[in-house]
Amino acid sequence: MTQTKSETTQAKTPTPAQASSSRQPKAAKSGTARLLELAMTKKALMCGSMVLSVIAAIISFAPHLSIYFIIREVIKVLPNVTNADAGYIIRWGWIAFGGALGNILIYFAALMLSHLAAFGTLYRLKVDFASHLARVPLGFHVIIGSGRLRKITDENIEKIEGFIAHQLPDLAAAIAAPVMLFVILYAVDWRFGLATTVGIIVGLLIYASMMSSIDAKNGMVRYQQSLDEMNNATVEYVRGISVVKVFNQTVYSFRRLHESIKNYTTWVIKYTISMKTSYSAALAIVQHVFLFIMPVAILVGMRVDFTDAAAVAQFASTVLFYLIISQAAGGVLIKVIYASGMMMQITNNVDAMDAILSEPELSIAVNPKTVKEHDVVFDAVTFSYDKDKEVEALSDVSFTAKQGEVTALVGPSGGGKSTIAHLAPRFFDATGGAVRIGGADVREIDPHTLMDKVSFVFQDVYLFKQSVMDNIRMGDPTASDERVYEAARDAQCHEFIEKLPDGYQTIIGTKGIHLSGGEKQRLAIARAIVKDAPIVVLDEATAFSDPENEHLIQKAFERLMKNKTVIMIAHRLSTVIGADRIIVIDGGRVVQTGTHSSLLAQSGRYADMWNVYTQTSTWKMSTIKGGAQNA
Amino acid sequence: MPKLQKMLELSDSGYKDLKKATFACTLTNFSTILPVWALTLFITELIQPLLGGELSITKLWLLFAAAVVGTFLNYLCQRNDYEKCYVVAYTQAGHTRISVAEHIRRLPMSVFNSKDLSELTTNVMGDVASSEHVMSHIIPELIANIISITVICILLAIYDWRMAAAIFVTVPVAFGIIILSRKIYSGSSKKHAAIKLAASERVQEYIEGIKVIRACNMDGERFSALEKTLREMMRLAINMEVGVGVFVTGAQAILQCGIGLTALVGATLLTGGKIEFVPFMLFLILAVKIYAPVISVLTLLPELFYFQIGIKRMRDLLAIEPMTGDEEKEPDGFDIVCDNVEFSYNKDASNTEDPTISSLSVTIPAGSLTALVGPSGSGKSTVSRLIARFWDTDAGTITIGGVDVKTLDPEHLMSYMSFVFQDVVLFGDTILNNIRIGNMDATDEQVLAAAKSARCDDFVNRLPDGYNTLLGENGATLSGGERQRISIARALLKDAPIILLDEATASLDPENEASIQQAISTLIEGKTVLVIAHRLRTIAGADNIIVLDKGRVAEQGKHDELISKGGLYNKLYSLQSESLGWSVGK
Repeated sequence: MTQTKSETTQAKTPTPAQASSSRQPKAAKSGTARLLELAMTKKALMCGSMVLSVIAAIISFAPHLSIYFIIREVIKVLPNVTNADAGYIIRWGWIAFGGALGNILIYFAALMLSHLAAFGTLYRLKVDFASHLARVPLGFHVIIGSGRLRKITDENIEKIEGFIAHQLPDLAAAIAAPVMLFVILYAVDWRFGLATTVGIIVGLLIYASMMSSIDAKNGMVRYQQSLDEMNNATVEYVRGISVVKVFNQTVYSFRRLHESIKNYTTWVIKYTISMKTSYSAALAIVQHVFLFIMPVAILVGMRVDFTDAAAVAQFASTVLFYLIISQAAGGVLIKVIYASGMMMQITNNVDAMDAILSEPELSIAVNPKTVKEHDVVFDAVTFSYDKDKEVEALSDVSFTAKQGEVTALVGPSGGGKSTIAHLAPRFFDATGGAVRIGGADVREIDPHTLMDKVSFVFQDVYLFKQSVMDNIRMGDPTASDERVYEAARDAQCHEFIEKLPDGYQTIIGTKGIHLSGGEKQRLAIARAIVKDAPIVVLDEATAFSDPENEHLIQKAFERLMKNKTVIMIAHRLSTVIGADRIIVIDGGRVVQTGTHSSLLAQSGRYADMWNVYTQTSTWKMSTIKGGAQNA
Repeated sequence: MPKLQKMLELSDSGYKDLKKATFACTLTNFSTILPVWALTLFITELIQPLLGGELSITKLWLLFAAAVVGTFLNYLCQRNDYEKCYVVAYTQAGHTRISVAEHIRRLPMSVFNSKDLSELTTNVMGDVASSEHVMSHIIPELIANIISITVICILLAIYDWRMAAAIFVTVPVAFGIIILSRKIYSGSSKKHAAIKLAASERVQEYIEGIKVIRACNMDGERFSALEKTLREMMRLAINMEVGVGVFVTGAQAILQCGIGLTALVGATLLTGGKIEFVPFMLFLILAVKIYAPVISVLTLLPELFYFQIGIKRMRDLLAIEPMTGDEEKEPDGFDIVCDNVEFSYNKDASNTEDPTISSLSVTIPAGSLTALVGPSGSGKSTVSRLIARFWDTDAGTITIGGVDVKTLDPEHLMSYMSFVFQDVVLFGDTILNNIRIGNMDATDEQVLAAAKSARCDDFVNRLPDGYNTLLGENGATLSGGERQRISIARALLKDAPIILLDEATASLDPENEASIQQAISTLIEGKTVLVIAHRLRTIAGADNIIVLDKGRVAEQGKHDELISKGGLYNKLYSLQSESLGWSVGK
C-alpha cells in the first residue's frame, strides 16, 4: 500500500509494509471446513463430546435389537406362546431399557461437553471480533453500520452455538452409527440390507438435491441480506423516531422499515417454501424406510416353504429384524437432516462474520520503534477514504507540529482538518507519505505505545454506561482515585459530578441522569488529562457545544494543553490568535502556514476567513424581514 | 385458547392461522398411523403359518400398496403442515414487527428517554423472532403431539389396557418433573435473557465508542465492561443449559423406563397366556417408537417457557399507553401561554429533588421572537419540549391559540410546529428525500427551493450525485453544519407557523456560520419563534427574553432592560463576552 514512497525516503529502514505483520485472522477456509475449524477451538471438549455421542448412538440400537431378540424368541415357540422363556424375555427387556437409558445419559454427557465447548467458543469469537473491530481503519465502521456489526455478535455468532453444541456431536454419531448399522444390516441378510440401504440413500439424495440446488443457495443469501436490511432499518427507525414525530413523518421512516420487514417476510417465506417438497419427501421416506423392505420381504417370502415351521420362523424373524432396525436407522438419519439444514444456515452466519474479520487490520510493526521526542510530522501525506483512491481527502500535506507548541488547523469544513487529526492517532493509515512522531513512522510504532502517546478530545464524546469514575479512569486504568478527582477538578467537572445522585459512582446513561453537552465534553477532557499523553489532538468545536459553560471548557483545555504537542482543529478564528502555528487547509491541501498576524498581513485565504468571521460574530436574530442585523 | 392468542400477541387472523397450523401438524401425526397399521397387518400376515393360518401373497402386496399410499399421504400432510407452520409464523411475525414499530412511533417521547436504543431494537427484532420460533416450531408441534399422544393412548388402552398402562405410566411422571422443575430453571432463564440484553447493549456501546476504546487501549478483552458481560453470559448460558438439561434428561430417562416395563409386563402376560402374540409384539415395537412425540413435548415445554420471557417483554412495551388527543381541533391563532406549569422527569414518589419546571407562567405572542435564557440545567429545553407535548405537564396548562395542548393529538399538534435542534437525525436515503421529510407532498422543485434557501447548495453540489447522493447510516459523512442546514431545509419545507429553535445550531459549524445564520433568518421570518438561546448576543434583538433559573422565571424583558437590571442575565452576558475573546497560548 505504502511502499513506493517510503522505499525512497527510508532506504535504510524497512518499509512499513515489510516491517509489519498482518494481524489478519485466519478466515481463509470457508463452508464446512471453516465451521469445523471454529468448532475445534475447544478441541478436548469437542472430541470427548463426539466420542460420547458416537457411543450413545451405538447404544441407541440396543432397544431395537432387544425387541428383535424377544420377538424371535417367541416366534420360535409359536403358536404355544406360554412356552416362551419368560426370564430370557425379561432380561432382554431390561437390556432394551438399559440401552435407552444409556443412550440418553451418555448423549446428555456428550451435549454437556459440547455446550461447554460451544459457550467457550462463542465467548472467544465475540472477544476476538470486538478486538478486530478496534484494529480496522475507522471508516469501516461508518460503512458497515452498527446495526449489522451488532447483529453479528448478537445473532450470527450466537447461532454457531447450535452447530457446536448439537449438530457436531450428532454428525459424529450420524457418521459412526451407519457404519455400525451397515455391519448389522448386511450380517443378517444382504437382500434386506440392500433394500434398507436403498431406502436410506433415496431419502438422503432427495435431501441433498434440495440443499445443493442453486435456488436454495441464492434464496438463503437473499434471505440473510433482507434480514440484515431489516436490522439496519430498525436501528435507523428507532434512532430517528423523535425527528419523524416532529415532522409528522412517522409514516415515512415507518414505510422504510415496513418495506424491509415485508421484504424479509417475502424472502424468508420464499426460501422456506422452496424446500417444501424435497424436505417433506425426504422426511416421509426416512420415516418409512420399511416401505423398501416390504416388497423384498414378499419376493423372498414367495420362495419360503410355508409348511416348514422352522423356515417360516427364520424368515419372519429376519423380516421383523429389518423392519425394526430400519426405524432406528430413520432416527439417526433425521438427525443428519436437521444437522445439515442447520449447517447451511450457520455457514451463512459464519460467512457474514468472516466478511468482517477478513477486513484488513491496520498493520503492526514487527520491530516496533520507541518514541522519545514528540514532534508530529506530516510528510507529504496523501489519503483517500475510498479504496479506489479516486477522491483524495488529503493530498501532499506536509507540516510539523512541534513539541510544546500549539499547531492550529483552520479552513472550511470538509477541507480535511478532521482527517488530518484522525491520522495522528492512526485511526486511518495514510495512503501515501508518512506521519511521524519523534521521527518514527506511526506504522512502525506499536499501536498500544502509540495510543499512550496521543490523546484526543473530539466533538463526538462517547461515554460508557459505567460510573463517572470509571469513565474518567479509562484514560489510565492504573490511576488512583485521587488522580481522577484531580483531573476532574482540572477539567472543571468536579463540581457538577459532586451534584450527581451518587457523585463519582453515578452510572452514566441510567434513568434520570442528564448531562449537558458541555458536561460530557468536560468529562472527556478529564479522561484525556488522566491519560496525560505527550501529544494532544483536540477539536476546538468541543468548547462551544455548551456556550453557557464555554469558559469552563476553555479552562479545561488550557490545563490539558499545558506543555504538550497540541494539534487543534479550530473553527472560530478568534481562538487561534495566540497559536504558535496556524495551518490553513482547503481542499485537502495546505494553502497557507503562519501565525495569526503573519497570515493577516498577507491577503489570502486566512484574511478572507477572518473577514467573514468578524461579520458573523455580530449577527442577531429577528423575525422581521431583513431584520437580521450584523450590527 | 384465546389466552394463547393473548400470550403470543397474535392478531385474530394469526390466531386462526395458528389453529390451522396446529391442525395440520395433528393431521401429519395421524397420517403416520395408516402405513404403520399396514405394516402391523403385514407382519401379522407373515406369521400366519406359525399360528396355523394361511399366508396370502396377494394380501401382502395389497398391504404394501396400502403402506405406499399411506406414506404418500403422510408426505402430503408433511408438506401441508410445513407450509402452514412456516408461512403462518413468518407472516404473523411480519405483522407483529410492523405493529410493534407502529406502536413505538405513537409512544410519548418520555419512553425514549427511559428505554435505550438497543432495548427497543431488541424488542422489535429479537422478541418477535422468539415468537416467530414459538409459532413455527413449538406451539403446533406441541399441541399436535399432545393430541396424538392422547388419542394413541386411548386407542391402545382399548386394544389392551394392561400393556398400554405399562407403556404410558411413565409419561405423567416425566411431565411432572418438567412442570415442577419449571420454577428452578425459569430463574436461570430469566437471568440469561437479562444478560443477553446487557451484552447486546455493551456491544453497541463498544462499537459506538470505538474511538475511545482504541485511544484508551481497551480493544477486545481489555474493555472489561464488555469482557465481563460476555464471560458472565457464558457462565449463565452453561448454568441454564445444565439446569434445563438435567431435568429434561431426567424426565426422558424415567420415560424410557417404560420400555423395560412393557417387556416385563408383556412377558408375564404372555407366559401366563393372558395375551396374544400379535398384540404383544405390536406393543413391544410401539414401546420403542411411541416416546418420540412425548420426548419432543418434554423438550419443547422448557423452550416455550424460555421464549415466554421475551414475549412478555414485548407485551410490556405494547402495554405502554400511546399519547392521544383530538385530531381535528384548530387553535385560534398561535399565541402560546404557559400557565403555572410544573414538571419533573422523575415521577417516582420517593423523588425529593426539586421539579425541573415549577410555577412557570409566560406568554409568547404570535409573530414574536421570544428567547429562553439561563444556565444549563435551568429548564430551557424542557419548556420547549413541553410546548411540543413531548411530555405532559404535571400541573398547570399550556395553550396554543387558546387550546390546551394536552387535548390535541401529538401528531396534529406537531403540524403547527417546526424544530431546529442540535441533534439532526438523517436517514440512509438520498439528501433530497431527507429534506422531503419536512413535507412529503412537496414536489422536487419545492424541495430544491427549500434546500437553496437553507444554503444547502454549497455542499450538496460538491457531492458526487448532488441531491441524489445516498447518505450512510445516520448521514455520518456530513458535518454538523451540513446536517443543520438539511434540518433547516426540512423546517422551511414544512412551513409551520410556530418555530422552536435551538440557537446553538447556528454555531455548530463555525466555518459555515454565515450560511446558517442566513438560513435561520429566512426560516423565522414572520413566524412565532421560541429560541433556546446560548450565545446571548444573537438574541439581543428579541421581543422578549425569559431568563430561567432552576426551572423558574428569574426575570424577563428586553435586552437593554435586563442589562440595566444587573441580574442573572447581565452576569451571564458578561461571562460570555469574556469567553468569546479566548485564544490558545494567551
